[in-house]
Amino acid sequence: MTLRQKASVKKAAIYVVLIFMTVASIFPILFCLSASLRTQDDLFRNMFPFSIKSLIPVAPTIQNYIIIFTDYAFWRPIMNTLIVTIATIIFGCLLNSMAGFAFTCFDFKGKKVLYSLVLISFMVPFEAIAIPLYSVANSLHMVDTYAGMIIPAIADGLVTFLFIQFFKDIPPSLVEAARVDGAKWPVIFAKVIMPISIPVFVTAGLMIFMNQWNSYMWPLLVARSKEIRTIQIAISQFSGERSIQWTYIYASSMISAIIPICLFLPFQKYFVEGITAGSVKG
Amino acid sequence: MGGIYIKNKWLPYLLILPTIILICVFKIYPIFDSIIQGFSSSDSGFTLDNYKLLFADKTFWNSLKVTLKFNLIIIPVQIIVAFIMAMFVNVKVRGIEIFRTVFYLPFCISLTISTVIWQMMLNVNNGVVNSMLGVLGIKPIGFLIDKKWALLSIVLISSWRGCAYWMMFILAGLKGVDSAVYEAAKIDGSGFFNTLFRVTIPMLKNTLLFVLVANTTANFLLFAPMQIATDGGPQGSTNVLMYEAYKSAFKYSNRPRQACLVTILLVIVMTVCVVQNKLMTEKEA
Repeated sequence: MTLRQKASVKKAAIYVVLIFMTVASIFPILFCLSASLRTQDDLFRNMFPFSIKSLIPVAPTIQNYIIIFTDYAFWRPIMNTLIVTIATIIFGCLLNSMAGFAFTCFDFKGKKVLYSLVLISFMVPFEAIAIPLYSVANSLHMVDTYAGMIIPAIADGLVTFLFIQFFKDIPPSLVEAARVDGAKWPVIFAKVIMPISIPVFVTAGLMIFMNQWNSYMWPLLVARSKEIRTIQIAISQFSGERSIQWTYIYASSMISAIIPICLFLPFQKYFVEGITAGSVKG
Repeated sequence: MGGIYIKNKWLPYLLILPTIILICVFKIYPIFDSIIQGFSSSDSGFTLDNYKLLFADKTFWNSLKVTLKFNLIIIPVQIIVAFIMAMFVNVKVRGIEIFRTVFYLPFCISLTISTVIWQMMLNVNNGVVNSMLGVLGIKPIGFLIDKKWALLSIVLISSWRGCAYWMMFILAGLKGVDSAVYEAAKIDGSGFFNTLFRVTIPMLKNTLLFVLVANTTANFLLFAPMQIATDGGPQGSTNVLMYEAYKSAFKYSNRPRQACLVTILLVIVMTVCVVQNKLMTEKEA
């Protein structure tokens, strides 16, 4: 075999593996989409024995999507999740960036101790503290409130760390120039730092979004009533109900998956940056 | 900007205060609370009774066994698969960006949703996986209701999403390796596996150590798939310690038992991570 042939065989082999991995990655998502567009009767009847009809809707319908919104009030958990997520993003970006700004820009007593508190907080796995956290939330009367889902999620060591990493690279001359002009710190922060820090705010916002949108354990503990439950809880409870049709569950799963996917596709770079920030530089 | 370090008496504290208060109340305090609870008797004096009770409990020992078994399978599976995926999407061929994006997609689906979807796909009577296995002449398997398969199915469900996530870190590490290093290895006549074990893996040591530790922590504390898909069953075969802790607190209302379980879990996780750290750094010497 010539070198050239060898190279093209290698290339073909790489594509074969890549395509296999692609199927493994997206089959469940595509199957979920397909199943959400058919009636349960259609889905079950064509499942055994296996044929192409097991995978593809015979008569596509959006009935499931209509029913989960009308009969199961699925808009409610969507609204709840949006409220919780957006509030956490706003407060989370604000407070963590302020802290990050203070850590990078100022010298003060106890800085090291406070900084290590931030680092510890993102090394402690949330699952380990979730249950004692419930008693804290309980004594603060936060159980079954939006605040109970929002406030504990605002301060995030990893997000603060992300801001610190970014602020470090801002040229000091920018801040100095504003100081010479006599600008006050809040003005400097809002008018000088924030505008050039948009990328890190996007990254931080996306990370907080992903955490809150997909969060399961904490809402499961702290927000149990039907009026306030989030998407993840609503769907997991769907799957526990015997009477519910599978195709409704597929449809609601699809809705809850489509929003993160739509945010991920255009902002992939920011996501990956945010997620891997703590590993490479830390 | 790191070099400025302006002195200002109260402003930095004011800026940091909200974050620090929230961290202390919602992150630091609960850890200590949890550890203390496990050693407290009902009149809040010091006691070892909670641990004695736990150690006399057969459920605990079964749960410990399940947890160790689960992690011995899932940690290597996730890291090896994620590593292979990262190696492949780091190859420079046409359209690789598209493959990379597609491989990331499972990460966008929450663990809850992926559990729910897989739970239906793995169903004995109406699941698509069993339907497809039927083509190969395999009789339907009770993936989530058969004691032999349940734990492996949970591994599959968690890894489908997990591998996409861990791949991101490994890929970020791979991209940090200067391609000149590979060129040099190639010129020296180093084969693929030689390069992999002698060049790539040693250069990725920090990334891999991070992934190993983070992956261990995440999987030891995993409980959502068990809670949703198997309820710890069948016959306790997926009843990991974290789920037992959750049940202790919210099903049996036994806070001290839960505190003991979480403390034991944290001690196990810390021990494993320290050992991993030692092994990885010793290799270098």
